[in-house]
Amino acid sequence: MLDTIPGVALAAIGLAVLAAYYRLRSDRPAMSFADGGTASVTVGLTGTEKPAGILRWFTTVDHKDIGLLYILFGTAAALWGATDAMMIRTELLVPESAVWNVETYNAVFTTHGFTMLFFFVTPVFTGIANYVLPLLLGADDLAFPRINAIAFWLLPPSLVMVRGGLITDVIGMVVGVLPVDVTLFEALEPVAMGWTMYTPLSVEMANPQISVALLGLHLSGVATTMAAINFIVTVFTERPPELGWDKLDIFSWNILVTSALILLAFPLLGSTLIMLLLDRNFGTTFFAIEGGGPMLWQHLFWFFGHPEVYILVLPAFGLVSLILPKFCGRRLFGFRFIVYSTIAIGILSFGVWAHHMFATGMDPRLRASFMAVSLAIAIPSAIKEFNWIATMWNGRLRLDAPLICIIGAMSTFVVGGITGVFLASVPVDLVLHDTHYVVGHFHLIVVGVIPLAMIAASYYWFPLITGRMYNQRLARAQTVLLIIGTFVTFIPLLILGYMGMPRRYGIYPTEFITLNQIASLGAFLLGVSVFLWLVNMIQSARVGPVVRDADVWNLKETGQFTREWQWFEDRLEERRGKVEPEGDPGSESETTRAVDPDDDAES
Amino acid sequence: MRGARRTAVIVAFLAALAIGAVPSVAVAASVTEQVISRLNRQLLYLAVPIAVLVEAILAYTVWRFRDNDEPEPTKENRQLEITWTIATALVLLFVGTASFYVLAQPTVSTVLDDPQRNAEPGNAPEDAVEAHIVTEQWNYTFEYPEENVTTSESLVLPENRTAYLYITSEDVIHSVHVPELGLKQDALPGQYNLLRTEPTEKGEYRLYCAELCGRGHPEMLSTVQVVSEDEYERWLENPESALNESEANESSANGSATDGGP
Repeated sequence: MLDTIPGVALAAIGLAVLAAYYRLRSDRPAMSFADGGTASVTVGLTGTEKPAGILRWFTTVDHKDIGLLYILFGTAAALWGATDAMMIRTELLVPESAVWNVETYNAVFTTHGFTMLFFFVTPVFTGIANYVLPLLLGADDLAFPRINAIAFWLLPPSLVMVRGGLITDVIGMVVGVLPVDVTLFEALEPVAMGWTMYTPLSVEMANPQISVALLGLHLSGVATTMAAINFIVTVFTERPPELGWDKLDIFSWNILVTSALILLAFPLLGSTLIMLLLDRNFGTTFFAIEGGGPMLWQHLFWFFGHPEVYILVLPAFGLVSLILPKFCGRRLFGFRFIVYSTIAIGILSFGVWAHHMFATGMDPRLRASFMAVSLAIAIPSAIKEFNWIATMWNGRLRLDAPLICIIGAMSTFVVGGITGVFLASVPVDLVLHDTHYVVGHFHLIVVGVIPLAMIAASYYWFPLITGRMYNQRLARAQTVLLIIGTFVTFIPLLILGYMGMPRRYGIYPTEFITLNQIASLGAFLLGVSVFLWLVNMIQSARVGPVVRDADVWNLKETGQFTREWQWFEDRLEERRGKVEPEGDPGSESETTRAVDPDDDAES
Repeated sequence: MRGARRTAVIVAFLAALAIGAVPSVAVAASVTEQVISRLNRQLLYLAVPIAVLVEAILAYTVWRFRDNDEPEPTKENRQLEITWTIATALVLLFVGTASFYVLAQPTVSTVLDDPQRNAEPGNAPEDAVEAHIVTEQWNYTFEYPEENVTTSESLVLPENRTAYLYITSEDVIHSVHVPELGLKQDALPGQYNLLRTEPTEKGEYRLYCAELCGRGHPEMLSTVQVVSEDEYERWLENPESALNESEANESSANGSATDGGP
C-alpha cells in the first residue's frame, strides 16, 4: 500500500491543478461552455483580447497557441529523450559497464522509450495538426477548444510522473547535502523495466516509482485520446460545405486515420495499465501465473503497441505527402491511392500485434497467420513510397531544406521498411528478435522518417508561424547531417543484430565493439544536427528576416497556394493595412481571431 | 530515353554489386541454423537488389529533375498504380511462402507435428537427448533428467543427434538465445516451451538471455558445448571435469571464445 501513496498524492495534485484551472476560467459566462466550445463560443470570444504575458499561455484555448505549446512541450521532451539516447550510446562505446552502471543503463533505455513515444512524437504531431489542421480545413478552431486545452495541460504532469524517478533522485542528491531525511526521494528510482513493461518483471520490481509512472502513462493516454476525439469531430463537422471528402487534404486524412487508431488503441492501454497497477498494489492476479498468465500482458500490450507504431508514423507520412508536391511544382501523384493505403494501414495495424511475440512459443499456425498480415501491411507502405517517387518524376524539384528532409525520409524508409519484412518472416525473426537488428529497423523509421518529416514541417511552416525566415544554408547542412547520422547510427545496429548482439545490454561481448563505436559516432552526429536545428529555430524566430510576401515557396505559380497560406496572406495584408504594430511582428496577435474563415476557403 | 537506358545499366550494375555483398555463409552449426540462414539468404537476394533499385531510382529522380525547366503536370496513371501494387504483393507472397516452408520444419516450429501441443517434458523420443533449461534471475541450470545430471556450467550436446530442450523459468521471463545455432525461445514461468534442434558442428557457442529480466540481464550468459558422441558420454559420467581438455582445442578453432563479460 505504501508504494501507492506518491502516486495518489501526485494524482491529487493533478486534480487540484485542474480544479484551479476551471475555477480560473469560471468567470466566463457559463452558457458558453454548454456546447463545449463550437463556433458560436469562439464568436462570443472574438471581442475578448487574450491576456498579456505568461497568463495568455496558461489560459489560451486558441488552437494556434495550443499547437505551439504542444510543439514546445514535444521538443523539450525530445531533447530529454535525446539526452537518454546520448547516454545509451556513450555507455555502449565500451563493452564493460564503465560510464553508467547496469541499473542506470536499464532505466535510461526505458525512459528513452517512454519519453520519445508518448511525449515527443504524438505531442509534436498533435501540435502541428492543432496549428494547421483548422487552417487547412478553413475552420475557425478545433471543435472543442477547451478540451483541446485540457488535453494539452494533462501532458506536463504525466511527463513528470513518468520521469519522476530521475527528478526525485536529483532532488534527493541536492537535498541530501543538507542534514534532512531523504529516504522518500531515494525510494523513487527511475523505472527500469523496459518500455514494454513485461510482466512478471514489472509486477515484481519493488520500485514504487513504477506505479507512479503507470499513472502518468495512463494520464497521457487520456490526454492523447481527448486530442484524437477532438480531431475526428473537427474533420467531420468543421469543414466548410464545399470541402467534400474528395477535396480533403492529405494531412487531414492522415490525422483522421491516426486519431481513429488512437481512439481504438489507447483506451485499451489505459485498462491494461490499470490492471498492472492493481496487480502491483492490490494483489489482483490479472497477469499472475495462476491468473491470466504473463502472456495476457503481451497480448493486451501489443494490441495497443502495434497500432501505436502507425499512430506515430502516419502523421509523418501525411506531412511528406503534403509538403513533397509543393517542392516538385506539381500535384501529388495517386492522391486517392495514398488515402486508400493510409486507411488500409490503419485497419491492418490491428491484425499484426502477435508478430512481437513469435519467440514466446505461440502456436505456429497462429504465427503463420500473423506473418501473413504483417507481410500484407508492407504493400500499402510500398505504395506510398512509389507514389512519392512518381510525384517527383517529371516535376521541378527545388532542393530547399524541406525537400531534402523528405528525400532523406524516403531513403531511410526504404531501408527501414524492407528490414521490417525480414522481421515479419517468422523463422528469420526467431533469430533477430530482441537483437540490435530490431532496434536498427525501427529507429530507421522513428529517427529517419518521423523527425525528418517534423523538421520538414518546421521549415515549411516556419514563415507562417513566426513571420520570419530561417537560415536556409544552415538548414540544408543540418538536414544532410541528420540523414547521414541516421544511416551511420542504425546500419551498424542491423549488422550487430545479425551477429547476435541482444538489445538492452549495457555490458556486451568485446567482439561487438567496433560497430557499436561507429553507431555511437553516428548518434553524436545526430546530436550535433539537432543542436543546429535548435539554434536555427531560436535565432531565426528572434532575428530572422521578416517575411513580407506570403508566397514564400512560390506556390501560386503552380496553383498550390493552399488555405493556410491564404490565411497567412490575409493576415499580413490586414497588418499592413493597420499601423505597423510595435515589437515582435512574428508573434501571434489578437487580430488572428478576426479573420473570417469563409473568406479564404475558396483557394 | 538515352538517360533511362544508362540508368538501367547503372542500376543493374549496382544490383549485381549488392548481391555480391550478401554475406556468404560459413558451415551451419545446426540444422535449425541451416534452414533459417538459407531462408535469410534468399530474402537478402531479393531485398538488397530491391532496396538498391528503389534508392537508385530515388537518387536518379532527384538528380534528373532538380530545377527541371520543363515540368509536366501530374497525370493519374491507374495502370501504374495497379502494376506496382501487384508486383509488391507477388514479392511478399514469395517471402510468405518461403517463410512458411521453413516455419513448418520440425526443427524451427516444434508444435506443428504435435496435435495435442504437448510440450511437457518427458515426451522426447528414445534416441534424442532430453535436456531441461531452467532459467532464473540471473543464471541457467541445465538438467538431464534421464541421466540424472544437473549443471550450471554449460549446456553440453552431442553432435548429430536430435536434442529436445524444454525451457522454463522460475521467476520472470527470460530467453534462450544461441545465435550461432539459430535458436531462440522465450522462457516463461509456469510453462515449458520446447526447442528442438540437431547440432551439426562441434564447438562452443554463446547463449544469451534475450528478454530483459532485471539488473543482471546483460550478464546472464552461458555457453552451449557441442561435442562428439563419445565425449558426451564421457562427460555424462563425470560432468565436472572431463570436457576441459577438448574445450581448449575447440574454442580457438571456431572463433567464439568464452564470454566477454568482465
